[in-house]
Formats: sequence, structure tokens, C-alpha cells
Amino acid sequence: MRQLKYRDIVLKDLTVAIRDKKTLGTTILMPIVLITILSFALTSSFHDFTSVEQIDIAVVKNYNMENEVDSLMKKLSSGELGFKTSEEDLQDIKTLVDKINIDKMFFDEFLENKEIKKIVKYKILDEKTAMNELEKEKISAVIVLPKDFASDMYINYLTPFRNEVNIKVIRHPNRNISSQIVEEIVNGFANVINTTIIGKNLFIQASMEEGLGKEAFANIDEIVENLTNNLKKYKVQIDYEDLNERKPMTSASYYSFSMATMFILFAAGYGSKLLLEEKDNKTYDRMTVGGVEKRKMVVGKIFTVFFYTMIQLLVLVVYSSIVLKVNWGNTFLVFLICLTSSFCIAGLSILLSSIVYLTGNYNIGNLFETAVVQIMAVLGGSFFPIEVMPKTVQKLSNFTINGLALKSYIRVYFGHGIVEIYKNLVFLTIIGIVFMTIAIYLLKKEERGEFRDKYHKTKAYGNA
Amino acid sequence: MMFLQVKGVKKYFKDIKAVDGVTFEVDKGEIFGLLGPNGAGKSTTISMISTLVKPSEGDIYFEGENIIKKPRNIQSKLGVVPQEIALYPTLTGFQNLSFWGHVYGLRGKELKRRVEEVGELLGLNGRLKDNVEKYSGGMKRRLNIGAALLHKPEFLIMDEPTVGIDPQSRNHILNTVKQLNKDGMTIIYTSHYMEEAEELCTRISIMDKGKIISSGTKDELIGIINGKERIILSFDNINEVLMGKIKEISSISKVEVNGAEISIITTNTDLIFKDLISKINNTGCQVLSIDIKKPNLETVFLHLTGRALRD
Repeated sequence: MRQLKYRDIVLKDLTVAIRDKKTLGTTILMPIVLITILSFALTSSFHDFTSVEQIDIAVVKNYNMENEVDSLMKKLSSGELGFKTSEEDLQDIKTLVDKINIDKMFFDEFLENKEIKKIVKYKILDEKTAMNELEKEKISAVIVLPKDFASDMYINYLTPFRNEVNIKVIRHPNRNISSQIVEEIVNGFANVINTTIIGKNLFIQASMEEGLGKEAFANIDEIVENLTNNLKKYKVQIDYEDLNERKPMTSASYYSFSMATMFILFAAGYGSKLLLEEKDNKTYDRMTVGGVEKRKMVVGKIFTVFFYTMIQLLVLVVYSSIVLKVNWGNTFLVFLICLTSSFCIAGLSILLSSIVYLTGNYNIGNLFETAVVQIMAVLGGSFFPIEVMPKTVQKLSNFTINGLALKSYIRVYFGHGIVEIYKNLVFLTIIGIVFMTIAIYLLKKEERGEFRDKYHKTKAYGNA
Repeated sequence: MMFLQVKGVKKYFKDIKAVDGVTFEVDKGEIFGLLGPNGAGKSTTISMISTLVKPSEGDIYFEGENIIKKPRNIQSKLGVVPQEIALYPTLTGFQNLSFWGHVYGLRGKELKRRVEEVGELLGLNGRLKDNVEKYSGGMKRRLNIGAALLHKPEFLIMDEPTVGIDPQSRNHILNTVKQLNKDGMTIIYTSHYMEEAEELCTRISIMDKGKIISSGTKDELIGIINGKERIILSFDNINEVLMGKIKEISSISKVEVNGAEISIITTNTDLIFKDLISKINNTGCQVLSIDIKKPNLETVFLHLTGRALRD
């Protein structure tokens, strides 16, 4: 006898699902309505939301502030730099060095600048540890402040000379976008400093020509103070459109991603009832009598929920793209996220389905839809961007299906590649596999009769 | 070689003995009836034959092969009509039949042809495009039968296929069963309607409390009660005078009193009836109703168990 094909089960189940107005309303119509409403209602709330998350970087200090200041003073007094500084000038320079703290300037005034803090979160590490963390992708880039950084900076600020200061930015190849942002920031710092140094040199040169050398040096502190102010006021202007060829995050985009990833959870809720419904309708028994193995029915249900979720996601992608003009990003990557999310949902669904089937209680599926989905929606960032939530919640979002899928869609939207989403996709796949394995274990246990006595009132065809 | 042999089959659900040592045989080409009240064990017995439930003890052979060990030996040749409507209500009749056809490996033109043939046989062809949820009870029952016939099974099990339907649909179903049997199909038919079993079945087993209490053809079963008829008289009251007068009548085999009801068992109702009526007069007891039951499977069941089939 030829066997029933998975395709037959899936087509039958999908037809049943599509004809079920309640399911169709909950899983497809409702997200469309919500995406549309939230997109228009919360447009203004999304003006400031331009980045996915803070970029973690490390700063390596290869210089020793105190040693370099001592060495500089010695060089100035010994004439090693090509001129001999008078005792009086040396005293002035020492006062200025005390006044201008290079460390403070770079870290407190620049990296702690309000604008930069929004984008970059730094920690000071030694070079080896920093490179190790970069390798493991714990950070996106390393800024290396070279040996002689402090002394060269002082020479540049306080003398007519200009030494080259080479600040290195080491980028991870997988963190293309975020490390590019770091480089932009460092370039911005260099530009502010260069402008000041050039200004200072021009000022000294002009003063010398006018025979006002002494007064010129006396006013250097004012110039440096201006520099500090400039660093404080430094505004980072990262043009995302230039970097990623993308527009900033909009409410339409965000809620398209978040509602899509939230409402696929309802597909799992729908799927949770499939096995028990077949049992209650006696169609399960009828298939068994027809020689259809239980394994085939279970795998058929997994495929059904997988394809249903795929259809659901694709409808939402197409709707938001056409009606709300949302650009989801790289089509292949979006499709890949849809695939893995659907797989994970199929796993969750069959796990719920097996529990509902074994206990004979539809309320478990209802409880999932009314309580668990809502909790996962909050934790996963479906209602508000996860960045506004406390750190603990942000961490928990990595353990929610919608949270993982949402982060992946957002990253693709910002132009990130596969390397920046693959961990989420692997995690979604693993969750799906784990759920499926537990479901199969439970159903096998039932087959051996271990559950039957506890929960399930076994009933033959008919009344007796 | 017997077509089907059920040997000492038992089924326990926890402490409940649903089927307790059932043995019977079915010949090829016959309609075999399993008759008994609700809860007698009929459905569990056919669930075991249809490989849905494994017996706790005993063996079942189909065409000489043990189907408990090798269920596939029967599955492709078997059609089962469950008591419940095992269909998808939101799908059309056509979609339902197509799906069940797929279960038995039917595809393409062959499937389409069989759906049309089955639709024709069951008088549903004009309604196959409608959703099943819009069907009447009788139409659902007919479609429920149709889903079991698509693959032209050699052996058909029908579990109470006429429960809760109108007389017209019932007649249609009974005629369909006769037609299928005429075409060579072997059928096991379970029912608690004795008149259906009488009309259809070549041989019948009567089940009660998980056991077969009697088996044979209709005539053989009725022969158990030696053609005895039962006159059931209902009174406003019963007194000793009345009982004395009834006992004076010869040709009465047995008298049973149940409340205000008296059952008289006799081999010749015509002979005693006039005498009975005249004796009842002037006893002070008023007759409210008289019911004469000719020997049938109902009375056989009553005779064997002391209970009516539909109690």
C-alpha cells in the first residue's frame, strides 16, 4: 500500500487552519492591524532610536603618564629637542602640564562625552587581554594609544613642534559596521586635536614673527582650554544612511519586526491543539487504522506549524514592505531568519501539542497563549525596544524566541551580515531541536503506556 | 481458511474488563452482526480487530495471518466506519474524501474516480463541494461511511453506523450495506438496534458485559426461546384474584410480575388471548395496555439477560 505523504497531512492541516477564522484573525489579521496602528501612533517615539545597542570596545594604554611627563621635562631642559628651554619657560610648561591632563582629556572629556557614551562603552585593558576579547567577539574594536602618546601630545600642544601620534583602531572583521563606527569616532577625535594643534602652531608662528614669543607661550593654556571645550562639545555625527545605506529605525520598521516575531508565538499556540483535536475528532484513530504511523502524524504536525509560521511571516513581510514601505534588509538573510524562527516555533508547538495531547487538556494551550506569549513579548522586546529595559531583562531576551528573532531582524535591517546574526539563528535552531526531542520523548513514553495510566483515559472506538 | 478468527480475546482497561474472552469467526462474504447494549464491549472488540487497540490476551487472525503481530496484514484490506463522525468539519466533502483516499494511497485520476463513485453510491454527489459542517446528521453519517470505502476494502467494519439519524438516511445506509455485501464485501456490523441486525446479518453474536452470550443465525437465536411469545399487560393495580385467574389458564409457560406489569410467556398467544381477556374481567384490576412481543432478537436478549437491549 502506498503511504500517506507528509504533503497530504500539511495541505489538509493548512486548509483547516486557513478556514478557521479565529486562527486566521489571531495570527495574521491581528498583527497586521497592530503593526499599522503602532507604526502611526508611535512615529515620534522612534526619532532617537538609531542604534541597535552600545558598541563594546577596549582601550589599550601603552604609555605611562608619569614617566613620559618626566622624560619630556628632561628633554626640554637638556635641549634634546633641538632647542634649550629657559628655566622660566620650563616652569610655565610644567604648570601647563599639570593643568592639562591628557588622560582626562581622552577618557573623561572625550569618551565620556554624552554623545559618544550613547554609542560606545569602553573598558581599559592590557593589549593581550584586549586582543583576546576581540578574537572572541566580546568587543567590536580595540583602540591602542601608543607608547609616547602622552609626551607626544604635550609636545604637540605646548611646543612649536608637531610629533606624529598614531592611534590605532583594531577592528574585528566580523564586526564591520560597529568597528567602522569606532573608527569614525577616533577620526573625529584626531580631527579636533589636529585643528587645535594647527591653530596653535599658526598662533605661535605669528607671535614669533611679531616678536611676541613669550606672550604666545603664555597664552597656550587658553588655546588648550578651547581644545578641551571642543572635545566636550564634540558631537558624533554618524550618518547611518552613508554607512549602511539604510534609514534610521522607524516605528513602522520596529513594530513590523516585533509584531511578526511576537505573533508567530500564537502559531505555536494554535499548533498545540492539533494532536488532541485529531484524537478527539477520531480522525487520529481513523488514520491509525489506515496504517498511518504516529511518527508520521507528529512529523506532519511539525511541518504544518513550520509552513504556517513561514506563511504568516511572509505575509507580514510583504504587507509591511508594500503598505508601510519597510525595508527589511537583505532578502536572503530575512528569509533565513524566517526559516529558523519557523523551525523553532514548530518545535515549541509540537512540545506543547504533546503535553496537551498527553494530559487531554486544551487549557494548557490556552494558558500559553494568554500568559506565556505575553511574558515572552515583554521580555523579547515586542512591545518596547529592549534597549529601554533593565539589563537583566535585556539578558533574558536572549532566551526568548521572539527576542532572538527580533534582534536578528533588527541587525539585518541595520546592514549587518550573517556573522552578526548566526549565533541567534543557531540558538533558535537548537531550541527547536531541544523542544522536538522532549516532545518525541514524551510521546514515546505515552506509547509505552507510562502516561496513559496517569493522565489519559484510554478509550477504544465508540462507547465500549 | 477462515476469513477472520477471533480467539479468546480479552481487553482490560486498568481493572475494567471491557472484553472478556471473546471468540468468533467470520466467513468471507457474510455480514456478521455484533449485537448488544451500550457498554457490552462491541466497540472495543472491533477496535482490536481494526488494530487500533492491542488485546490484553488472545489472538486475531485475518486470512490466516496473526494481525496482532503484523497489523499491516489487515490494514490495507480493511475499511472502518467508526461510530463517531471522524471527518474534518471545515473541509468540503470532496476534500475529506480526497484526504482519506490519500491515506490509502489513492492519487490522481484514480482518486477522483473513486470519490465520484463513492459519492454516487451514498447519494452525496450534489453536495461534495459543501463544507461538512453544513451537512445534516444523515449526510455526515453517509460521508463517514464513504471515507472507509474509497480503497475498495475486502473487509468492512461498521460500528453503529445509523446512530441518531433520520429514517430516510437509515434506509439509505442499510441498502448501501446490502449492496456492498452483494458486491462481495465481508462486513462486521455492530448495532444495538436488533431490527437492523435481523435485516442485514447472516450470523449474529450477542454480547453483554464483555462476553458473547450467544451466537448463530437469526433463526437459531430465536430458536433458543422455542418460539415463545410474550404478552405484556399493564394494570392500574394487581391483586390476588387477578393472579389466581391468570394461573388457571393452561398453555402459559411462565408469568412474571414487575410492578403493575405482568409478562405472560406462551407458545400460543392466539389460543389463550380470548380466555385471558375474559378472566381479567371482574377481578377489580383495569387493563391500561397490552403489548404482544413476537419472538425476535430483542426477546432473545431479554430471555438471556433479563434486560432489554436498550436499557
